[in-house]
Amino acid sequence: MMDGVLIDLQHISKVFPPATVALSDVSVSFRSGEIHALVGENGAGKTTLMKVLYGLERRDRGDILLRGAHVDFRNPREAIAAGIGMVHQEILLIPEYTIWQNVVLGAEPVHALGTLDIRTARERVARKIDEFLFNLDPDAPVGSISVAARQKVEILKLLYRDVSVLILDEPTAVLAPQEVGQLFLELEHLRDKGHTIIFISHRLDEVLGLSDQVTVMRKGKAVATSPASRLTKEELAREMVGRSVVFAAERSPAEPGEPVLVAQELTVRTTDGRDALDHVSFQVRSGEILGVAGVEGNGQFELVNAIMGLSAIAAGGLSVQGVDLTHADILARRRYISFVPQDRGRMGASLPASILENAIMTHHILDRSFRRWRGLALNYRRAIALTRQIQDQFDVSMENAAAPFQSLSGGNQQKVILGRELLLEAPLVLMDQPTRGLDVGSTEYVHGLLLDLRNRKKAVLLVSADLDEVFTVADRIIVMSRGRLVADLRTEETTREEVGFYMLGGKDAVHAQADA
Amino acid sequence: MRKQTLSGILGVLAALMIGGIVLALQGFNPFSTYGALLQYSLLSASGLSAMLSRAVPLVLTGLSASIAFGSGLNNLGQPGQLVIGALAATVVGLFVRLPAVALIPLCIAAAMVGGMLWSGLAAGLRRAFAMDEFIVTLMLNFIADYFTLWAITYPLFDPAALSPMTRPIRTYAWLSQVGGINASVLYMVAATVLCWLLMSKGVSGYEWRIMGQNRLFARIGGCRVDAHYVRVMLVTGALAGLAGGLMVMGGPHRFVKGLGANYAWDGVMIAVVANNSIPGTFLYGLLFSMLQQGAIGMELVTAVPSEFIDVLQAIIVLVVVAGRVSLNLMFDRIATRKKLRESLQ
Repeated sequence: MMDGVLIDLQHISKVFPPATVALSDVSVSFRSGEIHALVGENGAGKTTLMKVLYGLERRDRGDILLRGAHVDFRNPREAIAAGIGMVHQEILLIPEYTIWQNVVLGAEPVHALGTLDIRTARERVARKIDEFLFNLDPDAPVGSISVAARQKVEILKLLYRDVSVLILDEPTAVLAPQEVGQLFLELEHLRDKGHTIIFISHRLDEVLGLSDQVTVMRKGKAVATSPASRLTKEELAREMVGRSVVFAAERSPAEPGEPVLVAQELTVRTTDGRDALDHVSFQVRSGEILGVAGVEGNGQFELVNAIMGLSAIAAGGLSVQGVDLTHADILARRRYISFVPQDRGRMGASLPASILENAIMTHHILDRSFRRWRGLALNYRRAIALTRQIQDQFDVSMENAAAPFQSLSGGNQQKVILGRELLLEAPLVLMDQPTRGLDVGSTEYVHGLLLDLRNRKKAVLLVSADLDEVFTVADRIIVMSRGRLVADLRTEETTREEVGFYMLGGKDAVHAQADA
Repeated sequence: MRKQTLSGILGVLAALMIGGIVLALQGFNPFSTYGALLQYSLLSASGLSAMLSRAVPLVLTGLSASIAFGSGLNNLGQPGQLVIGALAATVVGLFVRLPAVALIPLCIAAAMVGGMLWSGLAAGLRRAFAMDEFIVTLMLNFIADYFTLWAITYPLFDPAALSPMTRPIRTYAWLSQVGGINASVLYMVAATVLCWLLMSKGVSGYEWRIMGQNRLFARIGGCRVDAHYVRVMLVTGALAGLAGGLMVMGGPHRFVKGLGANYAWDGVMIAVVANNSIPGTFLYGLLFSMLQQGAIGMELVTAVPSEFIDVLQAIIVLVVVAGRVSLNLMFDRIATRKKLRESLQ
């Protein structure tokens, strides 16, 4: 065995029934005190591999060795007890609790009589914050702090439990560029204090800048492990995808026409009276892609819901092609808006229903040819024709239109949804994180579709947490921060740094840069 | 679909085998017991006729529950909707003077409207006060029970009777025997076919099904889910009400105390076993009525108490429902192993 090997994963295989091979004979070693990046496309198996290690998923084959001894964690609690902790992509904290309350939750120090020892608890958390230079206020309620700070609280939770191995699943996905730099400084500090960090990512620049070792995964296999210093971005991309990748998409200058979507002073209130969307005004013109950037949770979701009629508009107005939709019901909106939601399984499809049943949604209402017998019966011949059209035109690989939608891969599911929505031929296309969870090939495909829509004079509103995506396809970028629209920029005239500055609300950005 | 049929057949056979073992352990001969069961249901003309009549409330309340559950609604008010429907048909049958051609349809319509009224009440409470239909329909069952009991004990009481019941409805409202089979069976079959058409061919059935699987997706897709909610409540109420009306018109021709018995709860159980499929509900409804009818004969010729059939029904429910899940797990495991072998080559 190699010297200093802390965790050794040997020949791990995992199949998700019925037929998805998530991991196939994966062997990776992690050495003590290194930052080890696990890179690969979405669906390459990075997260699954770490969930197997962490006791969240059962493996079908293979062994896990910790310091040379076989281990088999049945749940995260056992993994944490052995010194291995994982921070997930979704942050799971109680917003009403303060930072120290969140951190000690589940592992509270108690008095002899079993009551919570508040002083010790708070002190221990404060000491950990100082030890790792985290710059957090232990008494601040989690609901009031930024996403980056919440992520730190998640890390702190694990450090409080004396974890020596930290697994971070795409920690930078929700951060602005300036915050990423700060996080990396803190991770390097942790490593220098003897912690081992496993870092899941698909952003190559970050991986090369931060890590000591890089393991590339592709289609459920570990392709190679090498020191980061010996790799270039191009090599890494080639190993990840299995072919050369063009980093910049071809984009001709836009020739926008008339305004299609006009939002004026749009305001949405939460039940507790807060303005989740605060007087937002913008326009999307035909033949133009407008990107909405922002750290997640700054009003983008509320904006999408307001446009789709899922949440009531408290003030302001919304129109498409001059038709006032401010208080229109959802069906009335669907005549003007094609909608690709961010959460396929929750909003974009019914997973147990057949592919065909998913493909005809909305068409069956708006297009009369989908009905027979005075509109009472579905015209299955028409439904099959549409499903075939989507299959051919959007290159969906499927065997049988009657198969359940969930039997399709993520990329093919998204293609069916895209096909369904784009064939509605609505003047406005609203896409919310359309490439989330897709591999590089499918992402390129979606970006191509977006540019094609623009050339066909559709108005496209693209909400994305991925700055690279916004810069690749959008003609204009609006930035949201705390429910407000804080910037409206032309893509050619701005930079990632400037957009990041606005994402952080301006003031915070200066602060973060000063720290770095 | 084919998997579902397979797991259903295997489950019923396995349940019968377990039932046979239970019988044998208690010193009964399982073969002669099952023989008697069949003899008094499927294999004799009178048994078959009685079995089909018994299937009417089981299948109709089962359809009601299947459509409600399949559309994502927790309508558990079938027992109440059934007795209200029965009472409505009884009232029309008692007091309206019309020839049979008009009176029979009128009674049936009254039964359905009665059921709709009762489920519509729950729908209205949900729309107006966001009250969960799960609890409202359950509670309305008690009100319906005691309301109908009051009605047949006081205003509609037959003075000649010794226990609470109404006078017989007018003979014009009686459902006749057609070739030895009660006409109520024909209405039940017709209702099943209509439900099947609605759910598998109709636009409404499509939207209801999607709504049951993912309400938000249906809503975003432009389906009017709030209107559908009311419609599903009304349709499923009408089905349960129809069951009650047909029971009065085809059977005792009057509302007697305890008319609803356990039929509607059996119907809910049938919907669960059938996994909300319409043909499945029909077939399991026939199976359960066969068991219940055969139980009477079984008690006559063997020493096995008819309560055994309750046990057997419960075993069928458990084995079929659990079997469906474990069979899927088994298919998954086989697929996993096969895939694993392929991927490692």
